[in-house]
Amino acid sequence: MNRVLINLKASFKMFFRNKAAVFWTLAFPCILILLFGAIFSEMDSKYTLYVQNQDIVNGNPTSASENFELALNLTDAFNVETLDPTINATKYAFDNTLSYVVVIPEGFEKDLSVANATIEFIYDQSQTSAAVVVGILNSVIASYPNPPQLFVSLKYTTIAPKRFSFMDFFLPGMIAMSAMTTSIFTAVEISSRYRETGIFRKLATTPLRRIEWMLSGTIYLIVISFIGMSVILVLGIALFDVKVIPDPLSLILVATTSMLFSGMGMILSRFVKDPETAGAAANAITFPMMFLSGSFFPLEQMPEFLRTIATVLPLTYVNNGLRDAMIMGEPQRAITNTIIVAVLGVICLLAGAWITKWEEE
Amino acid sequence: MLLGRNHIAIEVNSLVKKYGDLTAVDSISFTINKGEIFSFLGPNGAGKTTTVEILECLRKPTSGSAYVLGFDISKDQDEIKKRIGVLPQEFNTFDSLTVRENLQYFAGMFGSSVDIDGLIKLIDLEDKRNEQYKKLSGGLKQRLGVAMALVNDPEVVFLDEPTSGLDPKARREVWNVIQGLKKQGKTVFLTTHYMEEAEALADTVTIIHKGKIVATGTPEELITRHGQRNFLILKNTDKAAVPLIETLGLEAKFESGAGDVKVALNHSSDMSEIVRALTLKQIAFGELQLKRSSLEDVFLNLTGEKLREAETL
Repeated sequence: MNRVLINLKASFKMFFRNKAAVFWTLAFPCILILLFGAIFSEMDSKYTLYVQNQDIVNGNPTSASENFELALNLTDAFNVETLDPTINATKYAFDNTLSYVVVIPEGFEKDLSVANATIEFIYDQSQTSAAVVVGILNSVIASYPNPPQLFVSLKYTTIAPKRFSFMDFFLPGMIAMSAMTTSIFTAVEISSRYRETGIFRKLATTPLRRIEWMLSGTIYLIVISFIGMSVILVLGIALFDVKVIPDPLSLILVATTSMLFSGMGMILSRFVKDPETAGAAANAITFPMMFLSGSFFPLEQMPEFLRTIATVLPLTYVNNGLRDAMIMGEPQRAITNTIIVAVLGVICLLAGAWITKWEEE
Repeated sequence: MLLGRNHIAIEVNSLVKKYGDLTAVDSISFTINKGEIFSFLGPNGAGKTTTVEILECLRKPTSGSAYVLGFDISKDQDEIKKRIGVLPQEFNTFDSLTVRENLQYFAGMFGSSVDIDGLIKLIDLEDKRNEQYKKLSGGLKQRLGVAMALVNDPEVVFLDEPTSGLDPKARREVWNVIQGLKKQGKTVFLTTHYMEEAEALADTVTIIHKGKIVATGTPEELITRHGQRNFLILKNTDKAAVPLIETLGLEAKFESGAGDVKVALNHSSDMSEIVRALTLKQIAFGELQLKRSSLEDVFLNLTGEKLREAETL
């Protein structure tokens, strides 16, 4: 056990001395998060505002209500969408995860004439932009009609639909990707370089056993994957307000992912002997996997045949499991995925251990 | 044997290693006494490394037996590994660990509480102790490799081509370290394809060629037995020197082209006899050149190949 600790200590020392490795291991997922976050989270600086105009006389909206709609449009802050006046706006907003709905009630024009009109504002209070939207809405009301003569009051209705942002989806994907790439590339790199430079041969002349070396290497990669996970979580929570549910299953998933891909790395470097080619082979495996297993985009958006491919990719189960556990709060669904990944992880690691030789026969 | 077997460090009996159709080691037998520097001399591909790696328990022999410090290589690997130190061929270690950290790491692997600073002093790397391995020159790397082979205070040290690729100065520095090991009473198994190295360091030289042992002995014995004789060359010397030298019972020959007289020596004392005789008869001679026979000649005589040429085979 002492030898495992010594090897572990040396591995961390070497990792943190290799500044480029530290940077790419930890910074690469962060850069992706910032990039994708910038592209998809705030794609539109306008807020979508749904308007339901119930103030209809003889089948036509009253001129007061039409003017109010026009005033909302004129702010240029909203993309105004119209809702069918007959539906229950609150329920519709909840069901369809709409953030902001303005209801102009029946009799608005009449009420306005006696200076006692009300506008209902239905909104999702969990939205960070809610305060901004309320502010804009109030300023529209204050200046309506122009010049201000009469008052319109605002009635608030809050809804809290369970919604997931792109970042909620993206963050677990990044954690899975980071654990995968860190583990497979480090395993490939170390296995092939140590063989090529004869470090394995030197180690074989000491009492260190292969199983001890593997154990220490696996712990090392799991810890590095956890460090990567922490950095990604901190970034996601701090910058994108991702709500993460702490769940031990997500830790188990990341650990087994690391086992799975370090085993795969060892198998690769056994067959592809020189370090450069082994690295390229690892790229050939991980790159398509990132795109096809739903790391970046939901699988539902992909064509049928790609979704079929996704079912045989181990990373798909990691992604699904992490999302279920960390974001959706569905641990029972995550358990199945965790078991699949764990079984594959143990198989890959054992195969890697069995296949890795320190010396040529 | 009178001394019993306690003085034997390594015993190899009819060892064979085959890779498919290729016989890398072809039924070799030898013994190495404790405390000696034993050298395996031969070109690359002669079977040196294969033999050494079998003794280090890294490879399994096809047939034959071998004992290291009385332990059977096919059964007692753990016992052997604890007691030997190894500098592998084309040695390398962790790039970004320092000299000290590398030594600590390997000492830790053996659970050894060796004096790391003492080892650093032994290889004269005190001012580089906190330097990372990758920043060391080739000679310093090899010296660290030798020190790393000593972390478990081994009884037998295997050094596989320890100076391969080093410049002459770095080579001599490594030689000094190896000579220091003998003083500490360690048994050293050295493989090399440099005959000067075997000549300078080894108590016993065993020449191996195409998997077979072709000769064993001290360097002097091998040269006496299998080398050419030593020659004295008298530059720009009168022909008359030839009959005079022949009266001393030596073979001499006049080489008309260069005007030199070449004498085959029987003993080193012959040289002063020749000089005295020539001076007495007032026969003028130019520069004296001694052409000594070396292990290179021994190798050539025994195998019909030159060491360096054979290397490329």
